[in-house]
Amino acid sequence: MISLQHVSKTYKNGVTALEDVDVEVEKGEFVFIVGQSGSGKSTMIRLLIKEEETTKGDIYVGGKNLAKMSSWDVPKLRRNVGTVFQDYKLLTDKTVFENVAFALEVIGKPRHVIDQRVPEILDYVGLGDKLQNYPDELSGGEQQRVSIARACVNRPLVLLADEPTGNLDPNTSVDIMRLLDKVNRIGTTVVMATHDQAIVDAMRKRVVELDKGHVIRDQSRGVYS
Amino acid sequence: MARLDYYFRETATGLRRNPVVAFAAVITAFIALFLFGLALLITREFNLVIEAWTGNVQVAVYLDDPAKPDTVAHIQDTLSGLAAVDGVEYWDKTKTCSQFETLFANQPTFTENVDCESVIPTSLRVKLSDPALYDQVTAALACQPNDQNQIVCAAAGVKNVADYRQVLNRLNAITSVLKIVLGALAVVMLVFAIVLVANTLRMGMFARRREIGVMRLVGATNWRIRVPFLIEGLVEALLGAGLAVLALFLVKVWGIDSLRGDIAFVPLVKNSDLLAIIPWILIAATFVAIVAGTAGMRRFLDV
Repeated sequence: MISLQHVSKTYKNGVTALEDVDVEVEKGEFVFIVGQSGSGKSTMIRLLIKEEETTKGDIYVGGKNLAKMSSWDVPKLRRNVGTVFQDYKLLTDKTVFENVAFALEVIGKPRHVIDQRVPEILDYVGLGDKLQNYPDELSGGEQQRVSIARACVNRPLVLLADEPTGNLDPNTSVDIMRLLDKVNRIGTTVVMATHDQAIVDAMRKRVVELDKGHVIRDQSRGVYS
Repeated sequence: MARLDYYFRETATGLRRNPVVAFAAVITAFIALFLFGLALLITREFNLVIEAWTGNVQVAVYLDDPAKPDTVAHIQDTLSGLAAVDGVEYWDKTKTCSQFETLFANQPTFTENVDCESVIPTSLRVKLSDPALYDQVTAALACQPNDQNQIVCAAAGVKNVADYRQVLNRLNAITSVLKIVLGALAVVMLVFAIVLVANTLRMGMFARRREIGVMRLVGATNWRIRVPFLIEGLVEALLGAGLAVLALFLVKVWGIDSLRGDIAFVPLVKNSDLLAIIPWILIAATFVAIVAGTAGMRRFLDV
């Protein structure tokens, strides 16, 4: 599903974020990317949705070579790859329903699809009774659920999560992990960048550890360190 | 339909978000397009004047009244044979009078009080291949300037010759200077309009950068993101165009129409002239919107 081959990324200011990284992720896998701040986790996520371009090497997502992908096709890629971030990226002037509906609306889905899928997915993430609330009326965990719902409403093949529990307390984090696990069990490939040791240790999933841009460990059913 | 609905809703929100800046853009577009239209209108006015005074002909040979057909044919042949002459056209009473009526169609007091058939002489209108060779014409018709600054001719049937070269040159010169000045002014104002419209679009995009970020994240195409802003720019430019047309119309009604009667001998632009320049104003407005749109969001929206 995802394949990074000898990927290097050097930013314009000369900082090398990734160097010669090789990672293969199979369809339906759940992978943690761990490492300290600045180890290149976020860069990897950004490369996977072509928000940044690789300096060297090739990245394949769903069989497509991102380096050869024209900017016209990038939206298509992003429709197949859901993204979740530490800061939720919700629109504060829209309700929970509207936030999720927005993701379908801007890719041109018709009204009846929106009216059917949005309550469905919000029910799935456990927010079936908060459709008309605004984001600042919700807890952090609930807001992250909205953003997961938004990332999943278009039924992506891959879900990328960059520190999704970074702003949450341990109990809420566990809830979010349960939800991501649930999403993974219906066949979605999940790649999650994190430095939350407790979670990684509890989940017992594949762990790829980055250090200064190099992969120093790739272990199935691993722990944080 | 869901799509159209989406675009119009987004555009409406865009215009409401910052009404003051949108207003400034509309006003600049208005002033620019007004000047642009004014330049076009003035050009048309001058063309009318040139047409009225000279018929766009460099030399007019006025004939004795009434003109005998064989004399006319003879003079016409003589003139056509000259190297300096590009074309000769005979204007009989009917033609001369109908042109007179058209030119002054808006000044009925003038046309009603003049008995065209009896006053206006028939003439041969001569176009020169090279204005410098004018002397050939006067020589062929044996013409001499008299002390009233007229050029009277000895050739049979010819009354006098009117040399319009200088008038024509001067009028053309004035027209082109005016065209250049007004055109330059209009261009400068159009540039301002483009900058201002682009700026409102930019501010709009900046205000909505979170939304745009999310849109890109979930895979909205660039066009999906751009089109509402493009429509917003177009609406602003077209509102400006509408105001400009309105203002030009007011100028015409209050300014130009009040001159009718006072200066009856000058033909004035009509409503049809105003209608004819409206498409050009709309084209200019669309141009402003498109350039502002592309310039305003280029940097913002690269994937």
